[in-house]
Amino acid sequence: MDVIRDDDRPELEPPILQGLGQAVPQVDPPLALRARVLESIAGKPAARPAAARPAVWQLATAASLALAAGLGLYTSQLRGRIGVLEDELRDTRARANAADQRVADAQRTAAGAQSSLAVLTAPDVARIDLAGQPPVAPQASARAFWSRSRGMVFTASNLPPLPAGSVYQLWVVTKEPAPLSAGLLTPDAQGGVNETFSTPPDIPQPVALAVTIEPAGGSPSPRGEKYLIGTL
Amino acid sequence: MWVLLAVLGSSAAAPPEGRQADQASLARIARGDQLAFAELYDRHARLVFSLALRILQERADAEDIVQEVFAQVWSQAGRYDASRGAVAAWMLMLTRSRAIDRLRARRARPETASESNTAESVVDSAVRQDLELLSAEQVTRLQRALKELPDAQRTALELAYYEGLTHAEVAARLSEPLGTVKTRIRQAVIKLRESLGQM
Repeated sequence: MDVIRDDDRPELEPPILQGLGQAVPQVDPPLALRARVLESIAGKPAARPAAARPAVWQLATAASLALAAGLGLYTSQLRGRIGVLEDELRDTRARANAADQRVADAQRTAAGAQSSLAVLTAPDVARIDLAGQPPVAPQASARAFWSRSRGMVFTASNLPPLPAGSVYQLWVVTKEPAPLSAGLLTPDAQGGVNETFSTPPDIPQPVALAVTIEPAGGSPSPRGEKYLIGTL
Repeated sequence: MWVLLAVLGSSAAAPPEGRQADQASLARIARGDQLAFAELYDRHARLVFSLALRILQERADAEDIVQEVFAQVWSQAGRYDASRGAVAAWMLMLTRSRAIDRLRARRARPETASESNTAESVVDSAVRQDLELLSAEQVTRLQRALKELPDAQRTALELAYYEGLTHAEVAARLSEPLGTVKTRIRQAVIKLRESLGQM
């Protein structure tokens, strides 16, 4: 093979090329150069062996490690997410319970209002005003609306605070037999009461309503002091 | 004297075990092993420095080339394909290429489009594969053959190889006709080839 071709782009075969590189006078480099060269690479990142094609097992291992790391991260994220969701669930349940409670209260209130309205609009409704009895409850007063068919609405105000272990009890007083308990009153902080009671439709004609103070739990018949009295 | 040095110099030729050691070093360098890098430097810095000095004729420039070549080895060790040839041969190729680049830059010769076709070095297009260092004996024979070349042939070849000049540039430098220069280089190469036992 001719080493110089017609197109003026000749080549030197590798042995001569290498030989000419090696055939130069050999000169020792200065000692300081060694330190300089070694220093120059010390601060640089290492060569990149990864540039050489990684083997399949290396790829598989890397992929497994990446997958494991990913799963670990994912698991950790899931755990955190679950914790958040559990908190949210607890909060939501509490809200739902509170809402249920409010609904029940509202339903009770609505039912009470409906009952009261039913009593107040009954054709046979009668009004009874009750007066506070001195000396225990001179400021107290009350009003009742009673219908034989629909029951009784009772409102009171300024009832004195009760001694511990006692309750107010509402009585329907008839001619015969003994007074009938309509129920226990639960006054609010201001001594107010607004409640609806059912009364037996076959109750004898009442002549009066009375509120007495009785031991907790109420009494079968009035024994305590009278706080309110009203006659029909 | 320098012939003797070249023969005695361990780095002027890499024996087979040296080649294996180089490849082992390079594999370690690819993993960031600075000790392996130092070992490679100790084996070949002289070879690299000598060629750079021959081309550039200035010690400071030659030292810079050594630094550049070894920095490149450090950064590219992981990409070196051992099947392509000996590590030392690769380093010599890098050295020559960088040194000639610096030589050209030093001359600040403006590159123009019209030059691009002819500016290619006589040896730049040489096949860069199966790079192998010559044995010490082959180097000695080559050096003897070089010494025995007629001055005109040796000068033309050295300008082409050590300065990276094209035939046209060699002709201009020597104020000789292009055809004459081509013939001289061709004859020189034939004699060198014969010295290596290749026909």
